[in-house]
Amino acid sequence: MVYEYVAIFFLFSGFFFLVVGVIGLIRLPDVYTRMHALGKCDTLGTGMVLIGLMLLVRDVTNITKLILIMAMIINPVVTHLIAKTAYNRGTPMVEGSYVINDYVASQRRRRKSQVESKLSQEGGENLK
Amino acid sequence: MINTVLYIIVVGQIIFSLLAILRAYSGPTVLDRVVAMNVITTNVVIILLIFAFIDNSYYYIDVAFVFVLGSFIGTLCILKLLREGHII
Repeated sequence: MVYEYVAIFFLFSGFFFLVVGVIGLIRLPDVYTRMHALGKCDTLGTGMVLIGLMLLVRDVTNITKLILIMAMIINPVVTHLIAKTAYNRGTPMVEGSYVINDYVASQRRRRKSQVESKLSQEGGENLK
Repeated sequence: MINTVLYIIVVGQIIFSLLAILRAYSGPTVLDRVVAMNVITTNVVIILLIFAFIDNSYYYIDVAFVFVLGSFIGTLCILKLLREGHII
């Protein structure tokens, strides 16, 4: 009996998070913000619904299958790839958004330090 | 009692999947449609698992597993097509 009440709590919490994710998908203004809403709410909602089903099933074989499905469906890989594809294609952002590109900045810093070390090795007097 | 809760969740999932189809229809860019299809796939898998418990026939869990794998590979292929212009 206690199992059923805990399972109902998990099922309704997961359903709430899934509903919040879909509302964010509909109302937010941008690709990136939509992914920001879905990547978290979808993961949490699916995990909680599957934990509730595991409490209801109570059979070792089916619980193993549900754990495998949970490991496959909670995929940050797909969300990361969608974000990278959107950034590389130059999908427009919403007005007034502020971007810090850490990857390009770190590449530029590394290249500058390499050039400086090469200059100091060859005795920078001649090259200047 | 538990069956009533599961039916409520299934009906809610179907309604909110239809709302996500609305976003997939009117998305300004292609990536919006990809995200919406990802959400619809997740909802369909959850509906399949709940039906597996309601109907007490656990073969639906295998069906859901194959569905998840197919949707994962499909999303990867669509993203590779968008980034590089060809798949193979």
